[in-house]
Amino acid sequence: MKRAGASVSSARPGSRLLQAFERELLTLLPRLRRFARALARDAADADDVLQVALERALKAREQWAPGTRLDSWMMRIVRNCWIDEMRSRTRRLRTFVPEEEGEAIGSDSHREIELRAEMHDVDRAMNSLPPEQREAIVLVLVEGLAYREAAELLEIPMGTLTSRLTRGRQALAQMLEAA
Amino acid sequence: MMRIDDDLLMAFLDGELDEVTRARVERALAEDPELQVRLDIQRRLRDRLAAHYAPVAEEEVPERFRAMLETNVVALPAARSRPLWQTFVALAATLVLGLFIGRAITSPGPIAVEDGIAVARAELADALETQLASTQPPGAVTRIGVTFQRGDGRLCRTFDSGATAGLACRDGAGWQLMMTASRAGGGAEGGFRQAGTGNALVLQAAQELMTGEPLDAARERQARDSGWRTNRPSR
Repeated sequence: MKRAGASVSSARPGSRLLQAFERELLTLLPRLRRFARALARDAADADDVLQVALERALKAREQWAPGTRLDSWMMRIVRNCWIDEMRSRTRRLRTFVPEEEGEAIGSDSHREIELRAEMHDVDRAMNSLPPEQREAIVLVLVEGLAYREAAELLEIPMGTLTSRLTRGRQALAQMLEAA
Repeated sequence: MMRIDDDLLMAFLDGELDEVTRARVERALAEDPELQVRLDIQRRLRDRLAAHYAPVAEEEVPERFRAMLETNVVALPAARSRPLWQTFVALAATLVLGLFIGRAITSPGPIAVEDGIAVARAELADALETQLASTQPPGAVTRIGVTFQRGDGRLCRTFDSGATAGLACRDGAGWQLMMTASRAGGGAEGGFRQAGTGNALVLQAAQELMTGEPLDAARERQARDSGWRTNRPSR
C-alpha cells in the first residue's frame, strides 16, 4: 500500500498548505490527457506517456517558475516524454525517423496502419503523419495554440511550423475527404 | 488577383493574419469559388479534429493521475459550495460506528464515541497529543500532517494512519474527530466513493477550517508544550 502519510509530512514546515503547482496541475489534467491522446498512437500509450510526464514534472518542479505558463511547460514535458518513448521503439515500429525519410516511408506506415481496421478514421489518418507534422497540428488545431506559442514550444522557427502545419493538413484532408 | 497559397489560406483560417492580409484573402475568396472550396475542406478538417479529441478532456481523469498529485503534497480540487467537513461529520460517525462494532470490546480501537462525539483513543490519541510533524520517525504508525488554528481558536491536526486519514481538533482534554476518510484499497466499501482521494479531502477540509497559515515547526512544538491550549482566539 502506498504510504499516505508521506504526503502530508513531506510538506515542508511553514510551506503553504495548498501548493499552487499541484493544484494547477490537477486542473490541467483533462487538457493534458487530450494533448497526449492526440499526440500518441492510442489511448493506452497516451496515458502511459502522461504518467511518465507527471513523474518527471513532479521531480523537476523547481524548474517551473511560478507565474509563468504551467500549461506550456507541461505540454513540453509530455511531448518530450512521447519523443523518448518513440525513440525507444524506433526499431520495432519505425515511427520516429527524420522528416525527409518520414515522408518517404509514408506508404509503409500507411499500410501498417490500415491493418488496424478497428481504428477511427481520424486516428488512422493522424497515425500516418510524420511525428513532427502531427505535433504541429495537435498544438494548433486541437489545443488552439497561436503559431508563435507552438513554434516556441517546439523550438522551431515560425516558417518551419507553418510548413509542417500545411503539409500535415494537406495529407489529412486528402485521407479524410477520400474516406 | 492575389495568389493565395495553402500557407496563407491556413493562416487565414487560424486567425493568424494581420488585418490587411486578411482583407485580401477575403476578397480573393469572394472572387474565387475554388479557393472557397479549399478553405471549406480545411475548415471541415479543423472541426473534425477538434471534435474527435474534445471528448477526452471531458472524460473523468483516471484516479492514478489525481493520486500522483494529491499524494505529492496537497493538491485540491476546485472549491466546493459548502464546507466539506460538514459533510464528513455524518460520514465520520458512520465510520466510527463501524469501527466500534467491528472491534472486540477488550481491544479499544483508535476511535471511540463519547456522548455522541467521536474522539481519538489509544495510539491515535497519543500521536495527536505528543507527535510533532517535524520530528516524527519515517515509520510512525500514525503520521501527523498539518497543525493549524480554527476560527474559534481551537487547534486542529490532520493525521494519517494508513487505512484512515482524518482531522481532529483539540477539545477539552482530548481530540475530537471532525472527519475521517478511508483510503483506496483499504476495504472502504459502502458509500464512500471518494475513498481514493481521502487524504486530499482531509486536507481540503483542513483548508476550509483554517484561519491563517498552518503552524510551522517551532509553533507546533510550542503548542504541544503548552498542552494545545490557545488563549487567544483569532477573532
